[in-house]
This record gives sequence, structure tokens and C-alpha cells, in this order.
Amino acid sequence: MSNQTINVQKELLRQPSTIALVGNPNTGKSTIFNALTGLRQKIANYPGITVERKMGTTIINGVLHKIIDLPGAYSLNHKKADERISYETLIGSYDHEEKPDLLLMVVDASNLERNLFLASQVMDLQIPMLMVLTMSDIADERGIRIQSQQLSNVWGVPVISINARSKQCDVQIKQALVEQGVATPKPFQWNPSKPLRQAVERLDKEWLSEHTQLPERARPIEALRLLAEGSLEDSFYQYSEEGKAKKLIEELQNTLEAQGENPTAAEVVQRYRFIGDSSEGSVTKEQRDEQTWTDRLDNVLTHRVAGPVIFVLVLLVMFQSIFSWATPFMDMIDMLFIEFGAFVGSSLPAGLLNSLLVDGIIAGLGGVVIFLPQIIFLFLFIYFLEGTGYMARAAFVMDGFMTKVGLHGRSVVPLMSGFACAIPGIMATRTIENWRDRLITIMILPFMACSARLPVYAVMIAAFVPDKRVIGFLTLQGLVFFGLYLFGIVMAVGSAAVMKRIFPTGKPTPFLMELPPYKWPNVSSVVIQSLERGKIFVTEAGKIIVAISIILWVLASFPTYEPTASDLADMDANGQTSEQMISTLQLNQSYAGTFGQWIEPAIEPLGFDWKIGIGLLTSFAAREVMVGTLNTIYSIEETEEQLGLIERLRSETDPETGLPKYTLATALSLMIFFAIAMQCMSTLAIVKRETNSWKWPLVMFGYMTVLAYFSAWITYEWANTFLLG
Amino acid sequence: MIVPLTTTKIGEQVRVSCLNCTSEDTCRLQELGCVEGATGTVVSNQKNIILQVGECRLAITHPLAMNILVEPVSKKK
Ligand SMILES: Nc1nc2c(ncn2[C@@H]2O[C@H](COP(=O)(O)OP(=O)(O)OP(=O)(O)O)[C@@H](O)[C@H]2O)c(=O)[nH]1
Ligand SMILES: [Mg+2]
Repeated sequence: MSNQTINVQKELLRQPSTIALVGNPNTGKSTIFNALTGLRQKIANYPGITVERKMGTTIINGVLHKIIDLPGAYSLNHKKADERISYETLIGSYDHEEKPDLLLMVVDASNLERNLFLASQVMDLQIPMLMVLTMSDIADERGIRIQSQQLSNVWGVPVISINARSKQCDVQIKQALVEQGVATPKPFQWNPSKPLRQAVERLDKEWLSEHTQLPERARPIEALRLLAEGSLEDSFYQYSEEGKAKKLIEELQNTLEAQGENPTAAEVVQRYRFIGDSSEGSVTKEQRDEQTWTDRLDNVLTHRVAGPVIFVLVLLVMFQSIFSWATPFMDMIDMLFIEFGAFVGSSLPAGLLNSLLVDGIIAGLGGVVIFLPQIIFLFLFIYFLEGTGYMARAAFVMDGFMTKVGLHGRSVVPLMSGFACAIPGIMATRTIENWRDRLITIMILPFMACSARLPVYAVMIAAFVPDKRVIGFLTLQGLVFFGLYLFGIVMAVGSAAVMKRIFPTGKPTPFLMELPPYKWPNVSSVVIQSLERGKIFVTEAGKIIVAISIILWVLASFPTYEPTASDLADMDANGQTSEQMISTLQLNQSYAGTFGQWIEPAIEPLGFDWKIGIGLLTSFAAREVMVGTLNTIYSIEETEEQLGLIERLRSETDPETGLPKYTLATALSLMIFFAIAMQCMSTLAIVKRETNSWKWPLVMFGYMTVLAYFSAWITYEWANTFLLG
Repeated sequence: MIVPLTTTKIGEQVRVSCLNCTSEDTCRLQELGCVEGATGTVVSNQKNIILQVGECRLAITHPLAMNILVEPVSKKK
């Protein structure tokens, strides 16, 4: 290997510039991004966590620079939606967004050769860079020694070695940028063979430069890709005269073959050969034969039989624990809100404002904030699992099953994130290569019981399912809760199996994934990220809930009701407190009441009365609003003593029969409705964006709503006949 | 002797000698370091395979593994 003088550029950093983080998946790009910008991008031990470009800023030596975090990529041959974003950012094909002036080329030191493959491709683009070796701690542990200076001499760019998780990470990188600077790498350092070089030149000259809009520095990379894949299909550019290109590519491939080169492998093999040769002087590894922890765990967790069983157990423990561990915290919040409401109620003069604050806003908000503990526990669990590296194994062991039902092993992680919220789940499908697999995953993802459904499930279960211990740590309430999650999964799988038949089949993409080594998750980042999600839940849900609570309070309080003489006579006869009675009559003849009773016939078959009906309508803004709505409605209607929502639901009676109005059948029907119905505007908006058409969100809304209505109906009838009859 | 990856045993060391699949999958395998001539260790073989190539642990499902032809190599002392 010939050493070269590095053409260091330091002046670049004196003016504001745009710095992009590029590298393989799961190498610590987002960890560095967070350290430099102070932002909180999601980090986890799974290849493919970042799926969109994210901007931040950092100050180096008094100058403000923009930092871009990119999705990880194994190569620039951009096959998946997330990889494509990195490629397009690098070549600057987003017109409206600036292209990076310099790069932090992130390279995993514990997996150097594989990472240098992408690095060598990126170097061909000739953007000034600093190479950042991450995971130096893991490399040390495994006995891998890297001579940074040597590496720097070979590739002609400055190199630093860091542990991205350490506190000084940002300081180290800034210091390196200032002291060592960046350098523009020379293209084609990997010495492509003469035939390959000639083929690239011809494809560039005769096709790419004339007929495409590709920037000059990107053309050789595109030429190599076209030669290897031989098809124009996967290119994201409009080509004119495609026929000519196809003929040319075919001719060049044949020439290569005649010269003894395998066109599909030539580039990769030659790059790897160069990397292998060049690492000889700079990387040493102690031979160690002992079994690592990763080996031992993988023996169990990826076992054909034990693997899937363990996965289901993990889910079971997760749902049981969020249900039971969160209870004490929820009781505390409940207490706080009741006290606070009482305090505000008594310290303000009685009247409209008092009622709006206490019955409208505080009640509505309290009804939802109470679920914060469960949501934080759920996120803690998911982030913890993702941090360990287990999720890649789960994807692997579930692939066989997933493929059978029309999904893909890579669907597992998006579906799991769907338990938290459908939106990040749908975004995460960008890591699925095959469009049909991706579309089916998106279309069924909202069946995964997201955290916004949790409040509704929790209220209904607590009110109507007996609190009995079944076996061990499992309670009946916990089991019903798990049953609902399972129901969502079954619906998802069933619908996927149906869609698999409807959508045209393409060539299946076999499962292939890198399994990252197991790691102890970074506890503080897991906790911070979960709390962050909790905060988002409260502020986002809070905004909608405050708005809807106010509107609803107005609709339920007006027109104000003046009791007639005959009403008063009735009350005396029934021996009811007149205030209670008046509040009920007030509610019934309010705008909300009138409207609710008008739609009641439509939902009566499902066992819902108009109060639930109003709740359902408001829940189309966001599911968790349902509980807030019920809370507001019930606060306006007064009772003898201050009761929580759960008691109110239990004690609601039918004025005609005197029997409880809501039963287990109502609860089950409502929960089934919530499990299936598509009641989330934001999800529909994201589906529109990711599928680039209104067709799919509309189809999704339609089929889920119809399915929800009929399933709830059947459930209600069934429960009335078999459970209560 | 050249055999499909699926017929190898746990702990066996193999050299990849031919990637016999459709070009797209081949490209993906190659990008991950599983190039012709690379040596690896079979970590697990239960229909699906885990192959350790260098420092990289690849999870490969059965249909893809059938298309990877390898040559068993004796372990170096
Ligand atoms: N031990 C160790 N772990 C690290 C280091 N850098 C990152 N990690 C961990 O590696 C995993 C991946 O980190 P991320 O920052 O999410 O990686 P990324 O490159 O953004 O990944 P993608 O977004 O999937 O491309 C996380 O579990 C990190 O905590 C490091 O230097 N040492
Ligand atoms: Mg990332």
C-alpha cells in the first residue's frame, strides 16, 4: 500500500457549513448526532433505526454548523427507501435542501472491513471528510487493534477513534475537526481493474452524462450500480431513451464477461480485495476461541422452537407488567387531579368559569394524563428491548411465520413499534425492501394496539372485568388486557393473509439481516427517551383534549335548562335530589345530548348509548380523547358524591328498567370497536405521505371502520347471549 | 468439495465459493461482506442459518442459504 500525503483542509470550518453523518446502519451515527447537537434522535441496537434525515446545529470554534443525521446504508446502491435518502443527500439531488459540504464518515471499528466498503464508495464522491471510528471500546474488548495513523495514510483522510457513548465524544470530534481538519479523498483508490474502469467510463460518457441529470461526481457510482444490476428499474430518475441504455449496459456486461470479469460481482469483490489488502498493516486481531455472550444467547434466542416461544413470552410479560406495575402511579395521578379539581372548584366562585375549568378542562385532562405511567412503562420496555439487540433476533425467528402471512421478518420491528404508536411504526417500514411487503405492513399496522387505546382498555377493564388472580402473577384483568393485544395481532395477521391474496405477488425478498452483538442498553438514554415520549403524549394529547373539552363543555352545558313546574313535581315524587335530576335533564337536552340521541340508533346495536357515541365521535380526532370526553360529560352530570369515571360507568343505570346501563357486554363491544377502528387522523396523514397517494389511507379507513362496526355488533350479541344470558 | 451452506454443521469453517442467486440478493450479500473467497463460521444451522463472516454476524434464511455454495475448510491451529 502506498502512503499518500493528506490534503488537509481546515479553512472549511471557519465558515458555516453543512456536515452530514454517513455510515453503515447501527454504527453510532445518531449517538454522535445527539452528542453534537443536544437533540434526542432515537438510538437503538438494531440496524435501521433512523429512517429520515434529521437536522441539528452545533458550534465549532465559535462558528455555527448544520449537522445532518442520515439513515444507515450498507452501500450506495440505494435499494430501500431509507438507504435512498442517504444516497440522494450525498449526491445533492434534493434541490430544496442543501447538500453536505463535509462528512463525518462513521465507521464501526469492531467491524472495520465491512464498514470500509461503504466508506470506499462514499470516497468516490470526493466530499471532504473526517473518518470517525466508533465502538472503539468494543474493538478493544475483542482484541482488535487499529492503527489510526496507518489507516489515515492508506485512505488519505484524517481518522479519529472514539467511543460514541462516552461523555467526551462531542469534544473529541470537534477537536479533531479543528486540529486534524478534513480532507477530500481521491476517487477510485481501490484500483478498479482496467476492464471495469473502461466500462464505467463508457457508460458515463455515452449515457449518463448526456441523458441524465445526475451530478458529475455521482455518475461513476451510478454506472457501477447499473453494470452490476443490469436493470434501470430500480433507478429513481427519469431516463429518456431507456432502450438505448439497456442495450449499452448489456453490451458492456458482455465485454466484461469476455475479459474474465463477473459483472455482478466485480465492483464488490475488487473493493473488498483492496480493503483486505490495505488493512493488513493497520488492523491486528488476537485470536480468541472462547464462546462469547452473544454466542450463548443466540443459541437459545434464535432456536427454531425456543426462539418464537420466547418472543411470545416477552410480549406477555410486557403487557402484564405495564398493566400491573403502573397501577400505583396511576392511582397517585388520579388522586392529584381530584384534589386539584376540588381545590380549584372551591377557590373560584361558582359559575360558568368554575364549571368550565373543573368539569371541562381539568376533568378531561385528568382522564388522560392518568395513563402516563402505563405509556412510560411501555416505552421503557420497548426501548430497553431494542437497546439490547434482541429485536434483530425476533425479526429473524419470526420471518418464517411472517412470510407465510404475506409479511416479512423485517415487519416485526415496525409492528412492535406499533404498540407504542402507529406513526413511528409506519415510518419504520422504510427498512422493508419489497414494496408489496411494505404496503401490507403499513395497511395492517394500525391493528397493533397503540398506546392511545390503552386508556380506553384500562378504563373498561377496570370497570367491568372482575379482579381475580388466575395463575401465578397473571390476573384475569391482565389476561383480558393481553387478549386485546393478541386480538389486534390476530386481526393484523388475518388481514395480511387476505391482502397477500389480493395484491399481486412479486418476487419475494429473502430475509437477510446483520445481527448486532448484544449490548447492555444505555440506561440513561432509554429512560430519557421514554420520558420524552411521555412528555409528547401529555402535550400532544393535552392540546387536543383541552380544545375538545372546551367545545364539548359548551355543547353539553348549553342551551341552559330551566326546570318546569311538572319536572319539579316529578322529582319530588321520585324523592331524588333535585340538583342531580336537573343536571341530568340539562345534559339530555343540551346540544351534545340532542345530537347524541340523534345518532344513538346507529350505535345502539353495538350496545352504546349516546354518551359513548359522543365519545366515539371525538375519538376520531385521537383515540385517547374518548376517556377525556366521558370524563367531561360525567362531570357535568352531578352525583351525590364525587365519583371517579370508573365508578360512574359502573353505577350508570337505565332510567326505564333500573338495571345497570353498561355491562361486560358493552365493555367488550367497545373495546373490540377500539381495537379495530381507524380513529387517528395523524396515522392517515402519514400513510398518505409514505404511500404517496390518497388511495391507501382511504382504503384503510374504510375497511377498518366497517370491520370494527360489525365485529363490535357480533361481540355485543355474543356476550349478551353467552356471558350474561 | 463444494456444498450448499444449508448442509454445513455448527462450528464448521467455510469459504464462500459461489453465490448462486438472483443478482439483487447477491448484491446484498456481497455488500454485507459475504463475497466469494470470504471465510466464515457457521454459528447456527436450524433450517435458517447464522453465518459469522469476519466480525459480522449474518442471519440468512433457508431459501437464500441454499443458493450460497461453500467449501468447508479445516480449522487453522
Ligand atoms: N459500546 C458502544 N456502543 C455504541 C457506540 N456508539 C453507539 N453505540 C450503540 O450502538 C447502537 C447503535 O447506535 P445508533 O446511534 O442508533 O446507530 P445509528 O448509526 O444511528 O443506526 P441507524 O440509525 O440504524 O443507522 C446503540 O445501541 C448505541 O448505544 C460506541 O462507541 N460504543
Ligand atoms: Mg441512527
